[in-house]
Amino acid sequence: VIPAELDYARPETVEATLEALATPDARVLAGGQSLLPMMKLRLARPALLVDIAALQLDEVWNTGDVVEIGACVTYDQLLRDGTSGVPRALLESAGSVGDLQVRNRGTVAGAIAHADPSSDVAAAFVAHGGRVRVASPEGSREVSAEDLLLGVFTTSLGPQDLVTHVLVDAERESDGSAYVAFEDRASGYPLAGAAALVRVEGPRVTACALGLTGVGATALRAPAIESAVVESGNVPEPDAISAALAPLPLDVDDYRTHLAAVATRRALTEAYTRALRSET
Amino acid sequence: MSVDVERREGIGVSRPRTDAIKKLTGASSYASDREFVGLLHARLVLSPYAHARILGIDGSSAIAIAGVRAVLTAADLPIKGEGGRWNEPLAREEVVFAGQPVVLVVAESEAAAADGAEAVVVDYDELPVVVDVEAALRPDSPLTRLGADTGESDAEMHGAAGSAETPADEDVSANVSDSRLLRNGDADAGFAGCDEIVEGQFRTSWVHQTHLEPQVAVAWPTAPDGVSIYTSTQGIFFVRDIVSRVYGIEPANVVVEGATLGGGFGAKIGLVEPLVVGAALAVGRPVRLAFTRTEDFAAANPAPAFVIDLKIGARSDGTFVALRSRVLVDGGAFADSAPTALVGGRVSGPYRWQDWHVQVYGVRTNRFGPGAYRGPTATQCAFALETLVDELAAKLDIDPLELRRMNAAGPGEERFDGSSWPPIGFTETLDAIEQHPLWARRRDLPPNEGVGFATGFFPGGKMGAGAVCRLDTDGGLTVVTGYVDMTGTETTVASIAADTFGVPAERVRVVASSSAGAPISGVTGGSMVTYCLGLATARAAEDARTQLLDRASRWLKADASELDVEDGEVLVTAEPDRRVAVADIAARVNGFGSSSAPVEGHAIVIPPEIAPSVAAALIHVRVDPDTGRVEIVDWVAAQDVGHALNPALCEGQMRGGATQSLGYALFEELAHDEDGRLLSGSLLNYTVPRFDTTPEIETILVEVPSAHGPLGAKGIGESAIVPGAAAIANAIAAATGRRPRHLPITPERLWRLLQSTPA
Repeated sequence: VIPAELDYARPETVEATLEALATPDARVLAGGQSLLPMMKLRLARPALLVDIAALQLDEVWNTGDVVEIGACVTYDQLLRDGTSGVPRALLESAGSVGDLQVRNRGTVAGAIAHADPSSDVAAAFVAHGGRVRVASPEGSREVSAEDLLLGVFTTSLGPQDLVTHVLVDAERESDGSAYVAFEDRASGYPLAGAAALVRVEGPRVTACALGLTGVGATALRAPAIESAVVESGNVPEPDAISAALAPLPLDVDDYRTHLAAVATRRALTEAYTRALRSET
Repeated sequence: MSVDVERREGIGVSRPRTDAIKKLTGASSYASDREFVGLLHARLVLSPYAHARILGIDGSSAIAIAGVRAVLTAADLPIKGEGGRWNEPLAREEVVFAGQPVVLVVAESEAAAADGAEAVVVDYDELPVVVDVEAALRPDSPLTRLGADTGESDAEMHGAAGSAETPADEDVSANVSDSRLLRNGDADAGFAGCDEIVEGQFRTSWVHQTHLEPQVAVAWPTAPDGVSIYTSTQGIFFVRDIVSRVYGIEPANVVVEGATLGGGFGAKIGLVEPLVVGAALAVGRPVRLAFTRTEDFAAANPAPAFVIDLKIGARSDGTFVALRSRVLVDGGAFADSAPTALVGGRVSGPYRWQDWHVQVYGVRTNRFGPGAYRGPTATQCAFALETLVDELAAKLDIDPLELRRMNAAGPGEERFDGSSWPPIGFTETLDAIEQHPLWARRRDLPPNEGVGFATGFFPGGKMGAGAVCRLDTDGGLTVVTGYVDMTGTETTVASIAADTFGVPAERVRVVASSSAGAPISGVTGGSMVTYCLGLATARAAEDARTQLLDRASRWLKADASELDVEDGEVLVTAEPDRRVAVADIAARVNGFGSSSAPVEGHAIVIPPEIAPSVAAALIHVRVDPDTGRVEIVDWVAAQDVGHALNPALCEGQMRGGATQSLGYALFEELAHDEDGRLLSGSLLNYTVPRFDTTPEIETILVEVPSAHGPLGAKGIGESAIVPGAAAIANAIAAATGRRPRHLPITPERLWRLLQSTPA
């Protein structure tokens, strides 16, 4: 219940933050909803906590094609923000994180950088072309989801890398997206979750993206299902979905694999319905 | 639904709990809240292994940390008793479950204690681990404990049954700590005469009581050789006597004060006091041990798991004939509190049987030490029996309510434990369910929905209970008890005293005193407080009333038999104008130099027999066959409460019990891996019912008065939890056609059941 002794810093600039992160065993503190419980159980024991609350990274922007989410934007803030173009699947996944208290403090960027294999928002992040903007002593760069998420709680970020923004493709009028998850009832984490994006022109499906969470080492895409949706213009049958999931690097038992298929079907169906509705 | 209940003023009316405002506004003070001068804080080192020898303990790094005052092992505690968990608060040479306390670090601050606990190094030599109760039973099983653990049992509190001496006709391992056989007639011959027989194997899981407030106690040594304890406990005298025996201190020198209880449900009966007293005696200062939530799971005393083989048979007309059962109780690492003795009194249900044969084994495994949890063994037994009764009804093509009604045990008929049934309100409870619209609606539901029904009962208990009823100088009453209020009983006790004595309930205070001054009192548990303390309170208030009339007779110059008490005044019945305020009498008799004795009623009672309460649950579920998830659509709870002294509190007990049975049914499982490590040791992975998974629970109070309880009341806390899990299983069967046999019915278990081929 009581963390091990540690130091704390609350820098006011990105430069000072990066400097502080040079300390061995320094960790970035954003919302702290994953890190602090680990520290209280002494499963994490950083020497220095670098609190980024003063960096003013707390805005959501729509640049036209891209939605940029500052590193300190909480789930609750995203849900209330009202900025256009924020993908509905991302909003739904943010809304299904933890409970109200967690959503009031926890941040979208923190979840992505934490690389929890059961992160709700990671499914929508990968489905919507997600990437992060990273500040480092060498300068700023963008890192794609694929290059960022390497494994269970493992990213390609270095010790002096700071995620300043999460970027996703803005949702268009002809898009429909949805997030469906089956949660563990104690933790609220998804046993399997699927974020689906369906883009239509008239009745024709022109694009589809599917992000899965809770079933692999990282959130992952399901290209075979995506192309099947585009080719057939419809949501595949349950057996076809299961068959298409089989080659993916899923790391769970048959029940959760089955749940992933059910979540996929339901998310695709809802996304497709929403896309058609937005067309008419 | 009311059966011959005399309505009296102030009784049978819903009143808010006297402690409600304090609790809701955060004004209640709990055991952790009291400040002590010179207080030290304790933190535990728990065993990571489920079975191991302790080769050595190195506390040198811990004691070097600033603020750490002591690093205590079992050898440092001045224990005088032997055997059982109470005498082994810290493991000695052998650890027998993962989470068992091994070292206690005592420090000036909680942080220093945590740092110290982390710095202790314990050297273990791992031993074979057995977590599966059936594996532990087999003759070739490794021993789950090498040393002896004969100890005490709390079985008597909940009504023990069965002979412990009867040898079993089965070859079993030395892990069997208790074997009991209950039989009547010839079960095989009984089955031979049956037209329909159903059977099955049922499994239940270890379930945590999940009281909101973790275990906590403070102890401090008192000169010359005593100890005082301020603790979150359900039984101050029980704890006093445990500590007295463990540490060889005269009971009178052990003073136990019960703090406001932040939930207990059976868990808070002596788990932490031996630890904290040992620490306080060893360091000579006040010590507080407040479990973290992690410790509250890992070092717990939860309800044990069961494996129940059950077979029942009936004639074609529906008459129940024979019952055969083998019940394995997973006794965990400390067999002393395994509730094997209770099974015999539960497994029959509230039914009449002709022939029975019930073999019960308590089996040691490397999982926790078991404890009491609301309705011990009854929920598990009802799950098995009520599932099979439902199946039997279908096979016999008899309405399941009618089948139960025709086999309801009547007053005077024999129970499996040799006692006989008092009136139990069973058929009246069935009537209440039958009249509910949901029962009529059960055949008219969409696919994947179903309505199920089950009954359950808890025998309740009886114990000696004392109460003092004192007239205060202002005309108010103080009731002194030694019971901790767990369920709102102080509110009920105040109503009983007010009604009996003749003052408004607002003028009654109930004081739970410490073991130094309280009248003899038992544990708050076993559905006994209202039943026994309520009775003692009524008698003490009667005594006080008699004394009051005696004092008033001199004042009013009338014989006591001519007087009555009404609204805080004593009056001459025939001449109501001749009256005097109770407050005036009180001021006179309590005054300095008064020639009249003050008024203080005393009573110590024990009811002549138990008063079982029958409960029923009628539940509508919706199943998602794709995921195995179950949604509760409607829940109707009916229960015979004897006489609802405070209907709001009865309904609260029924809703709370129903909610906990929902946990048993769908969510709660303390699972271990094969090495005995706890997989669900936090609220992140141990699922409890929450508001978003708990439906509104409709309550129906059935009132069949008990012959002996206060104003006809029965103990009701435990029956309320019993039928829910079975009713949900029956509802799922109605929705899906498949019978769950394993609690909790998690989505994954149900999905696998629905995927499997029917037998």
